[in-house]
Amino acid sequence: MSRIMITGMGVISAIGTTLKENRDSLINERGGITQLEFYPTAYAGRLPCGEIKISSAALHKSLFTYPDPTITRSGLLVLHAAEEAIKDSGLTQEQLASTDTALVGATTVGGMCLTDELFSDAHEKISGSPYTSSYDCASITLVAQKRFGILGEINTINTACSSSANAILYGARLIRQGFARRAIVGGADSLAKFTINGFNALNILSYGLCAPFDRDRRGLNLGEGAAFLVLEKEEDVNGKKIYAELSGYGNSNDAFHPSSISLEGEGPYLSMKEALERAKLNAGDIGYINAHGTGTENNDETESVSMQRLFGTPPPFASTKSFTGHTLGASGAIEAVYSVMGLAHQELYPSLQFREPIPATGFIPVKHYRKQAFQHIMSNSFGFGGNCSTLIFSKP
Amino acid sequence: MLYIHKSACFSAQQTYSETDLSVITESKDNRLKVKEPVYTDIPPGTLRRMGKAVRMSVGSALPLLKEFPQPDGIIIGTANGGMEDCIKFLNQIIEYREGLLTPGNFVQSTSNAPAAQIAMITKNKKYNNTHTHRGLAFENALLDAFMLLKENPDRTYLLGSVDEISDYNFNIDRLDGCFRDEIVSNKQLFDHPAAGTIAGEGSLMMIVSGQPSGAFAAVDALQTIHTTDERLVLKTLFEFLHKNGFPAVAPDLLITGENGDARLEKYYRNAESLVPRGTAIARFKHLSGEYSTASSFGFWLATEILRTGKIPEIVLKKSGKTDIRKILIYNNYRGLQHAFVLLSAR
Repeated sequence: MSRIMITGMGVISAIGTTLKENRDSLINERGGITQLEFYPTAYAGRLPCGEIKISSAALHKSLFTYPDPTITRSGLLVLHAAEEAIKDSGLTQEQLASTDTALVGATTVGGMCLTDELFSDAHEKISGSPYTSSYDCASITLVAQKRFGILGEINTINTACSSSANAILYGARLIRQGFARRAIVGGADSLAKFTINGFNALNILSYGLCAPFDRDRRGLNLGEGAAFLVLEKEEDVNGKKIYAELSGYGNSNDAFHPSSISLEGEGPYLSMKEALERAKLNAGDIGYINAHGTGTENNDETESVSMQRLFGTPPPFASTKSFTGHTLGASGAIEAVYSVMGLAHQELYPSLQFREPIPATGFIPVKHYRKQAFQHIMSNSFGFGGNCSTLIFSKP
Repeated sequence: MLYIHKSACFSAQQTYSETDLSVITESKDNRLKVKEPVYTDIPPGTLRRMGKAVRMSVGSALPLLKEFPQPDGIIIGTANGGMEDCIKFLNQIIEYREGLLTPGNFVQSTSNAPAAQIAMITKNKKYNNTHTHRGLAFENALLDAFMLLKENPDRTYLLGSVDEISDYNFNIDRLDGCFRDEIVSNKQLFDHPAAGTIAGEGSLMMIVSGQPSGAFAAVDALQTIHTTDERLVLKTLFEFLHKNGFPAVAPDLLITGENGDARLEKYYRNAESLVPRGTAIARFKHLSGEYSTASSFGFWLATEILRTGKIPEIVLKKSGKTDIRKILIYNNYRGLQHAFVLLSAR
């Protein structure tokens, strides 16, 4: 079975518009969660979010010579991150347009970031907005398909907050099973009234900065962003730069509750365990865990319990959601990029705002940036509906 | 190889429990709505909270899971998931100006709610995935299962699709030019092709495995492509058939996603021109209506024909071979998303 290598990456989030900017913020412990300046919601000034401080119009201008009025902010974020990843891996125009290049996107909100336009189009009788085919999840992947002229297998996944982790493992499987030779995989979500109000109605948004794994955590902060990775077979890489190998992945369902994880963390435990088995590694081989770590009462406790079950004492871990906010469908891919970046540079990124450990486990996340030698890194993503996924990246 | 062992199809027609396509239900206001059965397997309290997409998918999945209680995963294709709940929550946001809202609709509206609810009700902690790639959401779910079974033929999966018509997505798709401006009956859908078609909805659930024993149909191969260039579609289909033994092995029946939309006729004519003269041709969107995962109705039809050995008169466009062993399905969603699936009899 071919080894799957990561040869390119791109990311945009509240802590930077490029790989380099994101890494600089992580190294310098500079979080990006602030009060809203651009997104129009009644909660602006009250609920801090990981907002990218670039207007949609400015993003549009940086990407298009001739404006495309049908593209939503989520679509713009996809193009921005996917372009960086494609350039980074050096994929040629010919490779992009070949039938053996796959594209797998992921999102939860899709084009519904345009909440008011969607409302109006759902009720309007005579003529629609330019966005009538841009609201669904697939729309964000289709803008990239069109821009890059990709003719291979194309998919969009929505498993809530684990969506883009599943996009990554699906892309790897397409390559392994011979349905693609290379795959561009990732996800995007932008801030939306839909999610701000949805999560707020569930009482899981923090009105202060989120504090993952802290005893007194008050909930999560929403964020926005996109990240894409280029996956290629080891034998096709031909002397190109290789960041890491995608050595393992797991997917399981917690089968407990629509919007919370079981107290024993069954789904998280099973997905981490499966990823280890697939990578043929022992728990002790993992050098760092990029935790799901949303900062909600339920997630951080159950994730800690599941880590305790699998690792006893877990390796160094942290949640980079304390920098970016929870970017939902993009989070699995953004955190995969951070994991691969940390592994490539042999460094650990911290959790911000942590003070006291959760009494049940006493686990303390990495509090400050540091250099460290390690071979394997695990990234967790758990979603509503019990959808849990885990990825493992290894030094090539 | 992916083998189909059992299926349940909810549609506007009599396709559930006893299949009967001799009498067809007529569309109303350019919509074909699902005939929902009485849901005896879902507790009433749970049922009340479910939106239509969740209800249809859970309702069609549970009877299959009685016979195959713990498949190795649940894989669903849905373009929109719970659209009705999604817009209900949106209405709350606008109406109450982002005030105090109830989260029920929000939780029910996520696309992964059908697969998640089935997992929760049946305590299935295994692989779980939701594919939302619009007109190829079902095909991607199928490909997902196909790959898992290639990797491990001993496994069994619940594979399915669901999409609902709500007034809201009907309106958005109507504004986008999907549907006919004038009212047309599904019985006359193919009589006068014009821009647009009629809307539909449905749910298909299947038990699939990598083992032929007890199966009634198999998927040999599938491929998809995104393009509006009809020559490229034709070339890709031609190459797909040749990769799978054509012309020595040719389909006995071609099922197309023809939907009365004049803008898409060229693609379907091309596909019809590619198969041998003796190949029978069938179509199904006058029974299902058009929706993002309508191709799953065509897929169900193919498996029924392979199971029973009979082509229902109502779907036949051109008669040909009557001993149907191999079926090619070609579906096209809005001129951009094309899927080719080859099935064979067991």
